[in-house]
Amino acid sequence: MALHEVLLQQLFNGLLIGSFYGLVAIGYSMVYGIIKLLNFAHGDIYMIGAFSGLIFLTIAAPVIGAGWPSLILGLLISMTLVGLLGVVIQRVAYRPMLKAPRLSILITALAVSMILYNTVMIISAGRYRVFPAEVGTESFFIGTLRLTETRIILIVAAFSLMFILHMFITRTMYGKAMRAIALDRDTCQLMGIDVYKIIAITFFVGSALAAAAGIMAGVYYGTIHFFMGFLIGLKAFTAAVIGGIGIIPGAMLGGLLLGLLEAFGTQIPFIGTVWKDVFSFAFLILFLIFKPNGLLGRSESERM
Amino acid sequence: MFKSKKYLILLLVTAMMIFGAVGCGDDTATEDGEGDILIGIMVPTTGSEAADGIDMENAAKLAVEEINAAGGVLGGRMLVTTTGDDGCDPSMATAAASQLVSEEVVALVGGYCSGATLPTLAIYGDAGIPFVVAASNATSLIDENPGWAFMINSTGLDQAASAVEKFISLGVETIGVIDSGDAYSADLKEQTIIQWEAAGYEIVADDTVQRGEVDFSAFVTTIMANTPDAIYWTGYQAEGALLIRQLREGGYEGVIMVGDGSSAQELIDLAGDAAEGVLCTGPPLTDFLPAAQSFIENYEASFPREPGAYAALMYDATKLLADAIERAGSDDSAAIKEALDATDGFEGLAGPIMFTEQNTLARSNFVILEARDGRWALVE
Amino acid sequence: MAENKKKPKLTTPLESIIESLFRFFDNKVYRYTALFAASGFLLILPSLSSRFTQEIMTNLFFYVVVCLGLNIIIGYAGLLHLGYAAFFAVGAYTTGIMSSRFGIDFWLTLPFSVVAAVLAGLAIGFPTLRLRGDYLAIVTLGFGEITRLTIRNLDITGGAVGLIGIQRPVFFGITLNQISHFYYMFFILAILAIFVSYRLHDSRMGRAWEYIREDEDAAAAMGINVTTSRLYAFIIGSSFGAVAGSFFAAKMTAISPDSFMFIHSVMFLMAVVLGGMGKIPGVVLGCIIVVLIPEISRDIGQYRLLIFAFMLLIIMLYRPQGIWPDRPTISAKE
Repeated sequence: MALHEVLLQQLFNGLLIGSFYGLVAIGYSMVYGIIKLLNFAHGDIYMIGAFSGLIFLTIAAPVIGAGWPSLILGLLISMTLVGLLGVVIQRVAYRPMLKAPRLSILITALAVSMILYNTVMIISAGRYRVFPAEVGTESFFIGTLRLTETRIILIVAAFSLMFILHMFITRTMYGKAMRAIALDRDTCQLMGIDVYKIIAITFFVGSALAAAAGIMAGVYYGTIHFFMGFLIGLKAFTAAVIGGIGIIPGAMLGGLLLGLLEAFGTQIPFIGTVWKDVFSFAFLILFLIFKPNGLLGRSESERM
Repeated sequence: MFKSKKYLILLLVTAMMIFGAVGCGDDTATEDGEGDILIGIMVPTTGSEAADGIDMENAAKLAVEEINAAGGVLGGRMLVTTTGDDGCDPSMATAAASQLVSEEVVALVGGYCSGATLPTLAIYGDAGIPFVVAASNATSLIDENPGWAFMINSTGLDQAASAVEKFISLGVETIGVIDSGDAYSADLKEQTIIQWEAAGYEIVADDTVQRGEVDFSAFVTTIMANTPDAIYWTGYQAEGALLIRQLREGGYEGVIMVGDGSSAQELIDLAGDAAEGVLCTGPPLTDFLPAAQSFIENYEASFPREPGAYAALMYDATKLLADAIERAGSDDSAAIKEALDATDGFEGLAGPIMFTEQNTLARSNFVILEARDGRWALVE
Repeated sequence: MAENKKKPKLTTPLESIIESLFRFFDNKVYRYTALFAASGFLLILPSLSSRFTQEIMTNLFFYVVVCLGLNIIIGYAGLLHLGYAAFFAVGAYTTGIMSSRFGIDFWLTLPFSVVAAVLAGLAIGFPTLRLRGDYLAIVTLGFGEITRLTIRNLDITGGAVGLIGIQRPVFFGITLNQISHFYYMFFILAILAIFVSYRLHDSRMGRAWEYIREDEDAAAAMGINVTTSRLYAFIIGSSFGAVAGSFFAAKMTAISPDSFMFIHSVMFLMAVVLGGMGKIPGVVLGCIIVVLIPEISRDIGQYRLLIFAFMLLIIMLYRPQGIWPDRPTISAKE
């Protein structure tokens, strides 16, 4: 492959992994925007999503097969269930802590994360599981770009979800209320907005998107594991910050940028793939020092 | 404010009382000359490598059962085991090692993750307890061994030699190597690079992935740009399976070989069709050992699972230890060490055991396996 | 000021039990009795207990040192730090490299280890301390990962295999190689760390930190240099971690990047916040919980971390300020 062909392929690789980061980063960003919590359990929600997809497929496969129709159904059901789980976690673990010191709620989030992945570890006996989706892995070429049907469907699905979310945030009353709460919770309460309901909706949406990303990752990579949420959680977190934490389009952009950065980072001479993650984190730090509000963050008053 | 420092001391005391009570409970001192003989087992029974660790623990217990049923050692004394969980983690391993030492074991078997085994060698050395290492085989263990550890699995040097030999016999001229950033896989990769380059060939790709990483697309694209004839993965099966899938999906058609960390059946299960034809420099799997058929039957009769990749080695380690105790004629740790040193061709399931001056196995026990129809098969 | 502090309103039976337990220590006589009993007990513990108990206690003392260092950054200066394992790694590797590669005596490596930590603290603190609190958390997290990955990729640090053959310290002609030696060594370190923490808390600097933590703008208006004060907290806190790291390296004789993962930073953070940030007995209590609970419950195997996590959640829900907080804070809310 010539260099420009490699770069084109890396561009596609970066966009695909970046869209996973973006979907997870959105949840981080929404939650941070509305209650200023760095929700460490979010990566584990992604993992739970993947496992609920696995359970659905295992049950549904004998009846309706494990192809795309069944996957889409599984995706919707899992998104709903995991979204509800997000709401329950929020109600039990975070809502009582809203008035506590910021660090305490952070520890609560860490505890929730440990509970989620340890539970799944015990249930799955700590083993990697094959994600039983039956989708095409045959590859074809567009020019020199090597693609598979699965990759194309996944990337389209990820962008569609981001678009739907964007419409939800900008065009509905709930979206408006979310943005308002992010600005000033107390005033919203005075204005008659049911703040807790909106917070619950935020968790529902964020968790559902993470679950969708989890299932897509299951389809794409073919295996899932109880600890799969950790690394992507860390990276999605980075993505959310690059985009400007609390800003939804920023999270998407940050995710894509991070994905591209990682893909192209392997091409830089003298840095090499061994230093890929060092490169990503160093970039993050430089970013924060010189552009601390993120790519799309303008000022404190315009968050979300 | 100043006076509150005394609070903490009282707190410490309370904690200590509770803890002391727990910690003091375990004195199982062996008396010299008679009574049971206590042997320590150090394997990961929790954490990511628990599956193999539990297999190894089972194999050791099976060996002990058989020895005891046949009349024990030293004229009728029974062997008793106690297990320390190293969790495949260096800090947990030191705690486990200290626990085993404080239980006054006369000797130890075990050792799976090289990174976890490494810091324990000094602890056992300081305590003067011989340790038969069944699986761990990073070359760094050799340098750190104070003389009390005996490695019955061939080391990374031998494994790299097997891999290089196989590649050459296949006519491979360029390879790509990739490890998972832990002590074991980095060591194997390093040894492979040294031996491959010494043989006059070229490394065209060299990479490290983080454990837990799932996306290798960037790496696959680099590979496709350099197209090595073969790829050698030196890490464990979880990441290995993903790598194999993505390499094949990305259009790579060369030889893929994996190290013994990926020799579990799980690799093939996870990688699915993509695993077909993958080679492995593996430990002598029990399935292919003619001497091990009765071991497999006994194992499956006692435990509800198949013996894993290292069960046979662990069984050998335990039998070797019992033999050494017999030859030492006492349960004195120093005498057992002398006896282990003098081991000369002890017949284990995986072949005869004797040690080099560095206490490593005096021959290479690696075999080449190939994934065929969803199972590992021996390549002659 | 501790005398006239108001007790928070008791809401649950659990809280009232905890509160009355702590009130017990307000009595001077009890407190001194407890102090002497505890020191005496700790001094003779190695001769009464198994190697395993000593190992765990040594680990506890080690945690006390590390967490008190982190407490200076988090509890005193109010800076959220998610990469503390990096400073601990800097110390461990400085000692490790000097000892195993150049054969330098352990005690001589200690000053270098502190210098290295100060430099690391400056390098990361200087450009970032002006950032918002949460961003600082992310920068420190990134720094922690960069440190670990760099250690893993360099040759001098032994790569992923790590360093082996670190020499044991010699103390007045005795080579420290038994667990009881390390027990006493870390015991002394823990006492020193407690002492230094108290002195710092009551120092001019300690008061400046407290002021900044409670109201940054007011502190700046009163002439306190906010950035410099924070930088000091960063550097001092890092030095604690580095010294603990050096002793850790000497005790283990072999170190690898696996000992400095993000999860270790998280465990340190948990210990500090759980017990009650800023309050030394609280931090020690947090360390006891984080170190001892998983060890005591080793028998329940794979459930122990799950149970630990549930306990953590429940404690936080009922004691959001930590089990034994410094004092009821109002301003820490936002």
